[in-house]
Amino acid sequence: MQRHLILEDGTTFVGEGFGAPATTFGEIVFQTAMTGYQESITNPIYDGQMIVFAMPVVGADGIHAEAYESVKPTIRGMVVHDLAEISTNRQRRMSLDRFLKQNNIPGLCQVDTRQLIRHLRESGPQKATIVDYVDDHARDQLAATVLTKQQVQNTATPKAYANPGRGYHIVVIDFGLKHGILRMLGDYDSNVSVLPYTTSVEEVLTLDPDGIVLSSGPGDPNSLPESVFTLIRVLQTKAPMLGIGLGHELFAMANGATLNPLVAEYHGMNHPIQEIISQEIFYAMQGRGYVVDDQTVDRKKMFVTHRDLVDQSIQGLRHRDYPAFSVQFFPDGAPGPIEPNVIFADFFETVADYVEQYN
Amino acid sequence: MANKVVLDSASLQRALTRITYEILERNKGGQGLVLVGIKTRGEYLAHRIANRLEQLEKETIPVMAIDVTNYRDDVLAHGDHLGLDEKDSINIVDKNIVLVDDVLFTGRTIRAALDALIHIGRPKSISLAVLVDRGHRELPIRADFVGKNIPTAQNEKIQVSVEEIDGKDAVEIIH
Repeated sequence: MQRHLILEDGTTFVGEGFGAPATTFGEIVFQTAMTGYQESITNPIYDGQMIVFAMPVVGADGIHAEAYESVKPTIRGMVVHDLAEISTNRQRRMSLDRFLKQNNIPGLCQVDTRQLIRHLRESGPQKATIVDYVDDHARDQLAATVLTKQQVQNTATPKAYANPGRGYHIVVIDFGLKHGILRMLGDYDSNVSVLPYTTSVEEVLTLDPDGIVLSSGPGDPNSLPESVFTLIRVLQTKAPMLGIGLGHELFAMANGATLNPLVAEYHGMNHPIQEIISQEIFYAMQGRGYVVDDQTVDRKKMFVTHRDLVDQSIQGLRHRDYPAFSVQFFPDGAPGPIEPNVIFADFFETVADYVEQYN
Repeated sequence: MANKVVLDSASLQRALTRITYEILERNKGGQGLVLVGIKTRGEYLAHRIANRLEQLEKETIPVMAIDVTNYRDDVLAHGDHLGLDEKDSINIVDKNIVLVDDVLFTGRTIRAALDALIHIGRPKSISLAVLVDRGHRELPIRADFVGKNIPTAQNEKIQVSVEEIDGKDAVEIIH
């Protein structure tokens, strides 16, 4: 069935509906990675957003059991150029179409995604809706839609839970984590406690963690309560800390830096990233709507450890006084290159050092 | 006899990176730092750490090499060579010295290096960075910065190779 995408600025695109036949509203962003659509649509960083895929054909891998980045996708819609009707991957469990139907997420295909993405690159993220008919009612509905700023609340765990292992005790502060983080922590057989971001300093310290991970997550870092920054400022002095994505942004803010929103969010894996200390270059999956303002990073307190070589943005920070560091990109490589997996190796070596020294 | 690789090139590089950050963390920056590499491989490792410090801090950290042969307690022929060429001599008085060596084993090399250093001046502090700590200490010496702890048997041999002279970066156990 023919359906329509309407953007906040009035632009409309026509396409063919797939997935759920529902009407949907959300902020529209685009993803330029050629692989990993299942990981992307299940990554909580896209909570409440609609994703346009630049990859011309999406869906040929179907949906796999091992490629979930959350239990349930919370995106609002998916816009693609061509939906592959046949998926031949032998590991597939179901088609993308069926998966979206089951999760009540509408999709739109046969859309000129090149034109749409060029448009969004200039306009930046905006509200959008997928509807059956373009009429005043649909436009009014879109105009009246207020997007939530509660994405972290929507996706982060409200209760603590364990992901047991036999190794180091790692506390994950959950801001809407993706499974890749737990998978990597599991690779090191660490004994993981995932805690809500509202946990108090005392509660975390009572657990006597060997290391602390600030998870990735969706939304606007400025919308989080002050208690989060206090938590980070205290915990970074107590045990080795690794921040990822939103966790990196919060780590930067807790240490006095401010963030700037990007004109167009960047979701892709084609930017070279350089580790400054070794001058090594690698690629990683990125998904960011904010960038740490270079001018506001206190060089007496922090090192800039990584930079994106396309836009020179800060991609990694490290505290000068404590074994606490963070990366803006996704080091778990789900989807994306696995070279940055070594960030976790660095973290666990730092944890081992810390445990040896102080325990 | 197969050699077992315990650190490949990438993990050796990362170990040096981590040591560099830890040195800066402990020293509160690069001020007053002097890196002293124990010949042969410690010298190259010291230069690599210095390069990393330079990338981060945009300041040059002095590096010198030290030959401790004549200070060893297990070598009989004591000459009067101080183990330090005049031309690379750096004033170490009141400096924060980081001794750099490839393998920490009995601790006797480090003791000799301490003697050699004290011989040429009184540094503010001396700390020790090693790529590998393999245990079996015979003296009360421990490293402040360790790339990797590798538990070994007394009769095993640890072989550290560095690109500069061995054509590759690796740490191997030779049985």
